[in-house]
Amino acid sequence: MKTKFLRNLLMALFVFGVLILAGCSNNSETTGNDDQGESGEEGSEERMNIRVFAPTFTTEPPTDDSPVLKAIEDYTNKDITMEWAPNSNIEDKFNITLSSGDLPHIMVVPNKSPSFISAVEDGAFWELGPYLKDYPNLSQANEIILNNSSINGDIYGIYRSRNLGRTGVIIRKDWLENLGLEEPKTIDEFYNMLKAFKEQDPDGDGQDDTYGLVVSKYEGPWDVMQTWFGVPNRWGEDENGELYPFFMDDNYVESLNFFKKLYDEGLVNEDFAVMDPAQWSEPVISGEAGVQVNVLDEGHRIQDKIVEANPENTEPITVIKAVEGDHGLLNLPTSGYNGMLAISKTSVKSEEELKQVLDFIDKLGDEEAQILAGNGIEGRQYDIVDGELVNHAQDDPALLAEMDGLNQLLTFIPESKVLTPAGDPLRELEEKLMKENEEIVVANPAESYISEVYSKKGQQLDNIILDARVKYIVGQIDEAGLEEAIELWKQNGGTDYIAEINQLHQEAQK
Amino acid sequence: MANVHDNTLERTAAKSKKGKWNQILKEKWLYLMVLPGLAYFLIFKYFPMWGIVIAFQDYSPFLGVFGSEWVGFEHFQYFFSNPDFLRLLRNTFILALYDLVFFFPAPIILALMLNEIRISIYKRALQTMVYVPHFMSWVIIASISYVFLTTGGGVVNDLIAKLIGQEINFLSSPEWFRPMIIGQIIWKETGWGTVIFLAALASVDQEQYEAAIVDGAGRFRRLWHVTLPALRSTIVILLILRLGNFLDTGFQQIYLMSNSLNRSVADVFDTYVYFVGITEGAFSYSTAVGLFKSVVGIVLIVGADRIAKKLGQGGLF
Repeated sequence: MKTKFLRNLLMALFVFGVLILAGCSNNSETTGNDDQGESGEEGSEERMNIRVFAPTFTTEPPTDDSPVLKAIEDYTNKDITMEWAPNSNIEDKFNITLSSGDLPHIMVVPNKSPSFISAVEDGAFWELGPYLKDYPNLSQANEIILNNSSINGDIYGIYRSRNLGRTGVIIRKDWLENLGLEEPKTIDEFYNMLKAFKEQDPDGDGQDDTYGLVVSKYEGPWDVMQTWFGVPNRWGEDENGELYPFFMDDNYVESLNFFKKLYDEGLVNEDFAVMDPAQWSEPVISGEAGVQVNVLDEGHRIQDKIVEANPENTEPITVIKAVEGDHGLLNLPTSGYNGMLAISKTSVKSEEELKQVLDFIDKLGDEEAQILAGNGIEGRQYDIVDGELVNHAQDDPALLAEMDGLNQLLTFIPESKVLTPAGDPLRELEEKLMKENEEIVVANPAESYISEVYSKKGQQLDNIILDARVKYIVGQIDEAGLEEAIELWKQNGGTDYIAEINQLHQEAQK
Repeated sequence: MANVHDNTLERTAAKSKKGKWNQILKEKWLYLMVLPGLAYFLIFKYFPMWGIVIAFQDYSPFLGVFGSEWVGFEHFQYFFSNPDFLRLLRNTFILALYDLVFFFPAPIILALMLNEIRISIYKRALQTMVYVPHFMSWVIIASISYVFLTTGGGVVNDLIAKLIGQEINFLSSPEWFRPMIIGQIIWKETGWGTVIFLAALASVDQEQYEAAIVDGAGRFRRLWHVTLPALRSTIVILLILRLGNFLDTGFQQIYLMSNSLNRSVADVFDTYVYFVGITEGAFSYSTAVGLFKSVVGIVLIVGADRIAKKLGQGGLF
């Protein structure tokens, strides 16, 4: 009896194990079939299903049953499935999706990364250039930005338009007033302001607990500030028309010496090289630091948070474009776009379908669609009272979660038609400065060139230079060390990179 | 198990034996029961290894494994001739060596210390508490390290500044990177590492201790002559297993703790594979690098096993 019982028990265990294994494999099969079935059916019926890969800045992006998303579906007459990826590691997620081979219909491509370019070369995405003229909004796309976002002239993604002159300096206005200072106009005045913020107790609490400029692990601020000194935007052009990388410019070391001085005198946070970029604005909000070099629109976000914590401090922030150096007033532009919408060939098989997807992207440029994605539904997320926008979503997380992030789909072609609240002087100032910035931004002459060397070793090459810059600022290396880093850069492929860019440049000049 | 075995033997005793096949048939239930386990290893462990072939190709996801071009050992050649190679090798080896020298003995020492505690409730409570750090993710430990060690407001650095008058830049100086990494590993994993040693210690024959006490052995004598010899084979096996993962420095931890100031010592094979493979999309090349790492692992584990056998210890295979 006992042996029989044991045998039965073991048999039962065995059957159980087989069932689990079978269950697992069944599961994966059925889900796979579901996906295909859905897209196939919906496509053949009236509404085409479009899957969209997009970045999200919140942890709770809109779900498929969000009313706002449904309204957009109705407007564009498409069935949309969002595939969100956290913006902080969007590039990893993008590459992993690429390597899976199962690409959604539309992908927000973060930048012209090597993997995107090689995917394009392997025929993963549609070339869109010839089709754009057939669509009312897309046909109005800006030629310069199209060229910037192209791969050696061919367009594989529709750019998401951004202001060219978005960068600026955000300053604690209340601190300036406490110390009786003016907004800085030159680099020297900028330095004096930082020094005063550090040493003259700008918050008036009698303690030495403030400093000037806050920088995080993100290297952007150094790029912007070196531009003030006349360092070119990634590539400079010498008198013979030859292109050279920015760090070989004569003004580069001068700008680094300035940064080093800021660091040595404690005007910059000492831990900038390890600071999490997500915490970057915190010191300005909490009143530790007085200045941040960032996109101008961060100004009102910081202001809103300071006012929220301390309603008496009504206008704590002001913004300026840049400060003037020996070479005039200069600023670093963005490339005019932030990522692009690429259409994959694996999901969009025929030209018929391609036209439907393009029609969808085009319709998102309509005013109604832009307002839906950017502001939400009237009467739900916002109201218009006396011709002015009143936002309800900002104070209600549930309402906000229905729309927050859908504006990632917008290309803003031909222009932004999203409603903005009126009567906020800081926001108006930001808008005005962004326009003015366009006059003083330094263009990158090599923006549209795709270098083979760079696509292979770009990350390592960039790291050599950027790491050396940080090491120089904190004093780990001296000028000789900087030279060594540049030599290493050249040996690791930099020399070929320069030659390749110059060749592309000469071809483009013809 | 034995019962089942006997049973089948009895039932088939009458039949004549016809070689191996008959024997397998005889114990068909046992062999059937092996199948799920075998299937698991084939499907989830061996089948994916097929993907290694992309290390010898110029792989593109859209052309697939069959459509991609074969390039032979090109990626390996490029890797070994790359100036990064020596730096990566050095960084990885030094970290692995530090890990072996400083971290490996830590759980043994802790287990011996726990073993000497005589109050059972206190011992058990303490054991549970030392397990806790193991369950924290590296992200949390990296954040804790930042809060403690950062300059200008870090708790530890405030204390150090009061004691010696200046702060130490733990997070961003290359000299402190390795000690910090090993320190974090010791903090996180020492407690968890004691589990196996404590289990081995529980099986030590108590009579040996009693005999040692009769012989007049003190606490340290007992530790040296009874406890440690009892642990010896466990230590050797764990050491061999550890050598198999010798070059695994742990991607997450290093990635989280590295920054532009300490990258010269923080770049290891694991982070390199990530940067090249995931952020630059060079799948074939990073597979080749990963494969190199695995080959080193196999050589080390087999080598250590042979040496252990030569020295009279039981090996693994």
